[in-house]
Amino acid sequence: MADEGATTLRGTGTTTRRGKGVTEQQRPLWLLTPGGLLMIVIIIIPLLLACYIALIDLDQYTLRRWLDAPFVGLDNFVEAFRSSLPHSMWISVSFAVISTIATVPFGVAAAIATQNTFRGRGLVRAIFLIPYVLPSFVVATVWRTMLQPDGIVNTLLSKAGVDGGLWLSGPKSYWTLILVEIWAAWPFIYLMALAGLQSVDGEVHEASAIDGADWWPKLTQVILPYLRGPVLLACLLATLSHINNFSLPFVLFGAPAPDSVNVMPMLVYVTSFQSLRFGLSAAMAIVSLLIIAIPLFAYLRALRLDVHEDGAKR
Amino acid sequence: MSYRKMRALTALGGAAALIVALGACGGGGDDGGGDGKTLNVLIGANTQYPKEFQAWQTSISDKFKAQTGATVKFETFASANDELTKIQTSVVSGSGPDVYAVGTTLTPTAYSTGAFVKLGDAEWQKIGGKEKFVPATLGISGPDDSNQVGVPWVSRPFVMAYNTELLKAAGIAEPATTWDELGQQAKQMTKDGQYGLAVAYKDNFDPWKFVWGMSVQAGNPLVDGKTVKLQDPAVRKAFQTYFGWLTTDKVVDPASIGWSNSQAIAEFAKGRTGYVALTSATGAKALDEGAVKDKWSFALLPTVPPGATTRPANGVDAASILSGDNVLVADYSDHKDLAFQFVKLITDQEAQLEYYKAVGNLPANAAALQSLQSEEKLGPVAEAAQKSVATPFTGAWADIQLAMTNVVVQTIPDLSAGAVSDAKLDERLATAQKAAQSSLDRAK
Repeated sequence: MADEGATTLRGTGTTTRRGKGVTEQQRPLWLLTPGGLLMIVIIIIPLLLACYIALIDLDQYTLRRWLDAPFVGLDNFVEAFRSSLPHSMWISVSFAVISTIATVPFGVAAAIATQNTFRGRGLVRAIFLIPYVLPSFVVATVWRTMLQPDGIVNTLLSKAGVDGGLWLSGPKSYWTLILVEIWAAWPFIYLMALAGLQSVDGEVHEASAIDGADWWPKLTQVILPYLRGPVLLACLLATLSHINNFSLPFVLFGAPAPDSVNVMPMLVYVTSFQSLRFGLSAAMAIVSLLIIAIPLFAYLRALRLDVHEDGAKR
Repeated sequence: MSYRKMRALTALGGAAALIVALGACGGGGDDGGGDGKTLNVLIGANTQYPKEFQAWQTSISDKFKAQTGATVKFETFASANDELTKIQTSVVSGSGPDVYAVGTTLTPTAYSTGAFVKLGDAEWQKIGGKEKFVPATLGISGPDDSNQVGVPWVSRPFVMAYNTELLKAAGIAEPATTWDELGQQAKQMTKDGQYGLAVAYKDNFDPWKFVWGMSVQAGNPLVDGKTVKLQDPAVRKAFQTYFGWLTTDKVVDPASIGWSNSQAIAEFAKGRTGYVALTSATGAKALDEGAVKDKWSFALLPTVPPGATTRPANGVDAASILSGDNVLVADYSDHKDLAFQFVKLITDQEAQLEYYKAVGNLPANAAALQSLQSEEKLGPVAEAAQKSVATPFTGAWADIQLAMTNVVVQTIPDLSAGAVSDAKLDERLATAQKAAQSSLDRAK
């Protein structure tokens, strides 16, 4: 940030007088202090601790004198990869990507449908947001009740002549997790797409109307390009949020979870709080962090978070 | 003052304010009330009888205040996992509750942290002596007599409940005493939308209790020194029997693959099931409020292993796991004397009976339990309390029970399909054995 600031200042040809009193151009970086301190206390220190814990053999036996726990180097990482971590990584990443891809059409379509004014639009928009504002454990509890073997979903399906089978156990639980995640998460894409649509200038609509553009070309060639930036950012954030979602699988399936939904947060939780292998679970958590950091880093480098301008340029 | 100095001072002020604010977040402490001391007690929330539980807390607090002048501050946890998390954070930080009520099967884990006061003669004397407790309840206080941390507080032995009318209608004179007999009786009662047994296959704790019980009765206590014995004929037979009720005997409702323990009890309470295979005295109130009111009774769980008519010589007469809560005093506590006074208060006869009346948990206090023997329906439960057997006292037990539960969790789709192949069962048992043994290898 500081480098960027300096470059900008030099770029505008302004003289910088570092530390020689306040000027309009000089950024008051000291204002970052409270936020920075909080980051250090809440993020940096725990992260460093997690890195350290991942290198020691910390468990219930060594917890009390954790600073004396034996140093085991990368053993925890080796054990993590030999355990079910690779399986959980695959489950987590595929679940997150599928959930994100599936929510985009719903979100974008809902945003476009509620863009133009109509009677009751405010109510419809509010209703769309209900799944998003409900706490995850409430969503999971309600779905878990509905998806019991003799629950309401199977009862309705059987009336239609369909055998619903098991939703919360076995291989189908993977698709249950995706289904419930889609239900709970699509409004986020909707919100971001709606924000993108708000940024489309009225003149653009007028211009395309003057050009005689039909609704489909107008949608695909004029409106959607505006949404590309916000929706891509929404996809990234949504994917990360899916990967990190713990409450939903935990409440839906309980622990131990069926193998098909043993996502990374569940594995880390069980390893940490049921098996009490804190060192091993810290190693798993760090691997999860790296997995999340790779696409995040690549995306942020490519986009530089300049969503609005990016959208407007196209 | 130069700009640089001003900036530094401001930053310092900000940091100080932040630290003060963070410190305030940590809040609490032991001060306040009575003679200035507060005893913090962590105890499991009672969702079944919340009002009665609250009233009991108030009553105990008042008595403790009258006795010692100190205030008791109760903090509740919702599940064993919540409690474990609390224990972990307290152990690391060296501060937290002074007294913990810990489930019996969690006691070995708590012991392994080394964060609780070991009970010597002096400590036992402070709480009224070991003699005041039902002997069996001391079975999971520690790995041996000289290394005990848990004071028995309440007993929740497991029993079956049966529908007296359905058994009578099926011509069954006495409830089953062997597992084979139970299966047979259940078959006799299964007809026309009526089932012989209610079993909670989806429960996160029930399944391993059956497997442990059947195995220990057959002579395999699951842990033999430094070896876990899950890949064992007795364990295999136990799982086959447990699954067989649904797949081959067809004496349980197919929907039970989605039931937790409370759902199974609720089904039994509707009056169309012969037995509910695992419940405790706390279930009595729920049953009396259901359609089975006046038509149910408790019975000991079978104590002869599946496939046998008598218990083998090395088999154990185990009617239930040693179940209930122990109270532990934290080693880091600054109020240990006060803590032991509190432990004495809640384990004395009067308070034990008061707690039983409030929430239905049986006393661990021998005299209190004795006074309940005459209560209708409680006979089998009291007998189960005396015939309870402790699960192996090892820090690896949490993983061992998790491994057994996982076998059932992963088998539910097969149960739903109506058959569990031996090959799949063996494969899952091998996975469970590996996980459990690896945990036991680490046990110290």
